[in-house]
Amino acid sequence: MIVDDHDGFRSLARGMLEAAGFTVAEAATGAEATEAVRAVRPGLVLLDIALPDFDGFEVARRLAAAPAGDPAPVVVLTSTREARDYGGRIAASPVAGFLPKDQLSGAALRRFLAPDP
Amino acid sequence: MNRWLRAALIAGAIATVGCFVWSSWPPNSQYAPVEISIAVVGLSFMVAGIAAWQRWPASRLGLLFTIVGYLYLVPYILVNLANPVAWTIGNVTSGAVYGAALAHLGLAWPTGRLRSRFECGVVVADYAQNIAFNTAATMFWNPAFSGCNASCPANVLLIGDGSRSAWNAINTVEALIGFVITGIVLTLIVRHWRSARGWSRRAMIPLLWIGAAVGAEQILTGSLFHFPATVTYALLPLVLLAGPALFVISTVRARTAGGALGTAIVDLEPGASPGRLRDALARALGDSTLQLAFRQPGGAGHLDTSGQAVDADRPDDGRAVVPIAGSDGAVLVYDQGLELEPQLVKLTAAAASMALEHARLQAEVQAQLEQVRASRARIVEAGDAERRRLERDLHDGAQQRLVTLSLALGMARDRAAGADPELEALITSAGKEAREALTELRELARGIHPAVLTETGLSGAVQALVERSPVPTTITAVPDGRFPAAVEATAYFVVSEALANVAKHAMAGGAQVTIRRRPGRLVVEVSDDGAGGARAEGGSGLRGLADRVASVGGVLRVDSPPGGGTRLEADLPCP
Repeated sequence: MIVDDHDGFRSLARGMLEAAGFTVAEAATGAEATEAVRAVRPGLVLLDIALPDFDGFEVARRLAAAPAGDPAPVVVLTSTREARDYGGRIAASPVAGFLPKDQLSGAALRRFLAPDP
Repeated sequence: MNRWLRAALIAGAIATVGCFVWSSWPPNSQYAPVEISIAVVGLSFMVAGIAAWQRWPASRLGLLFTIVGYLYLVPYILVNLANPVAWTIGNVTSGAVYGAALAHLGLAWPTGRLRSRFECGVVVADYAQNIAFNTAATMFWNPAFSGCNASCPANVLLIGDGSRSAWNAINTVEALIGFVITGIVLTLIVRHWRSARGWSRRAMIPLLWIGAAVGAEQILTGSLFHFPATVTYALLPLVLLAGPALFVISTVRARTAGGALGTAIVDLEPGASPGRLRDALARALGDSTLQLAFRQPGGAGHLDTSGQAVDADRPDDGRAVVPIAGSDGAVLVYDQGLELEPQLVKLTAAAASMALEHARLQAEVQAQLEQVRASRARIVEAGDAERRRLERDLHDGAQQRLVTLSLALGMARDRAAGADPELEALITSAGKEAREALTELRELARGIHPAVLTETGLSGAVQALVERSPVPTTITAVPDGRFPAAVEATAYFVVSEALANVAKHAMAGGAQVTIRRRPGRLVVEVSDDGAGGARAEGGSGLRGLADRVASVGGVLRVDSPPGGGTRLEADLPCP
């Protein structure tokens, strides 16, 4: 599931990930995302940090506090900025990791789903 | 004091003493000490008269002192002249008449004017009884009683051969009446003393000395105690001299009061309260009752520094008012007795005016400085906010589009792969350009405003700075939690600029960042073990940093001895 308020990015990412063999759902806000995760039960949530209502860190915290489905979805934070712009906040979040938007690809996401042993 | 008047008084005093010496010449070894003491005492009252005239020109005290001096000395001269008429007049006016003048002086102190008809009556009665009884006694005094025979001057008032017993009886009655009148006079003077306040009470102190001296004289010469004549005549001049002499000394000291005013104002610390100003003026003026009153806005009258209402147009009895120039209606209310020293009052009002003007200017400058400080802080804050907005706009706009573009180019390249190698190469290079543009834009945005500061606060932002620093840097302490945006931004810029300087100039092996929360403050310290020699005034970088720190009301200290490393400390106010 792609959570991002930027339509252009969402549709592009959807195209890219569908081409890479993912089934893709979308959400544009933090509230929508928490709802949709419960309904869709995605395996992975690509979560933009900058959202219009509350930020990606807060969404991740809510998802971790009330896990939807078993196993809980893998959450990957993403942003136009780089990881270092967020200091220690990413490491402190209950997420699998961070992927800068410009490095998005099916292969990059699959690494989060099946971490190298 | 008019200099002709002064010259006349001095000449009169010298002439009178000269006449006295001439009239009693040649000196008789037995009476010489007595005659010297008479001359000195008479002269002392005349000098006190000149001093009083000089000190309080508006008072008649100088005149009264002078009259006492002449009334003391002239009868002796007349008696010594050995002329029948002069001898008789000398006897009639001798002895206690100067005492009546002294009572007059005491009652009229310090203005030289008697306060009531009753007191006037007492003084007139005192003069009258003295002259009347002296005249009566003289009628019965045959000069032969004193042992002179042919050499005696004739008594023109003598009745028959005179009568020693009648003379004694008259003198006894005179002493009794004089005793009663002296009691009345002393009671009245004590009442004056008790009702006097502030300056007027202080002004009565010399009178107490004179009173004490006269009291001592009464004890020495009176019939109550019988001192040996040698003791009496040795002590008498000293005792009588004490009063006028102390008055003259106090007058000389009072002349320095103007100087005391200057000291009082200079000694006032800047920003002293009106209460402190009043105290200083009251001390300089010698009037403990002095009030400094300010006009209340809206025609609500005047209030003094202790919050008491003051009627500046109609002061209470015994009080007088002087306006303070250029002070928006402030006044000094002082003891009316001070009208004898108009110059001192004028000086005090001028000093008060200067002090208030000074305080007003100081408050004005302070207010302007406060305004400038506030506007500087607002400008810096507005700048910060603008930079945050720019960074966010770049992030939401151009950066976002470049990311999308870069992803799209990636996808396009994947599609073209294999089919058209030329197109694939073109798209690859376009994608590379887009990614480089994105990187540059990110750096630009970070330079405009560090997103990490907004996102994570000071702790995370400093962590990020330290990680990027080319010189190995450790963080000793940095408080978690968020602070006002301006404080966070300033602290961040201090660390950022300091670490940049360490990397550029210090040739250091390591650096340390310490940020500590203190009550009401945030203290940022960056130190290195490098070459030192940095100066806050020198490099524009440190200068700019000092300005930035000052904009939030903080202080930047640079300690950088050559060869001893550099320590930069920013002390920031932080609620």
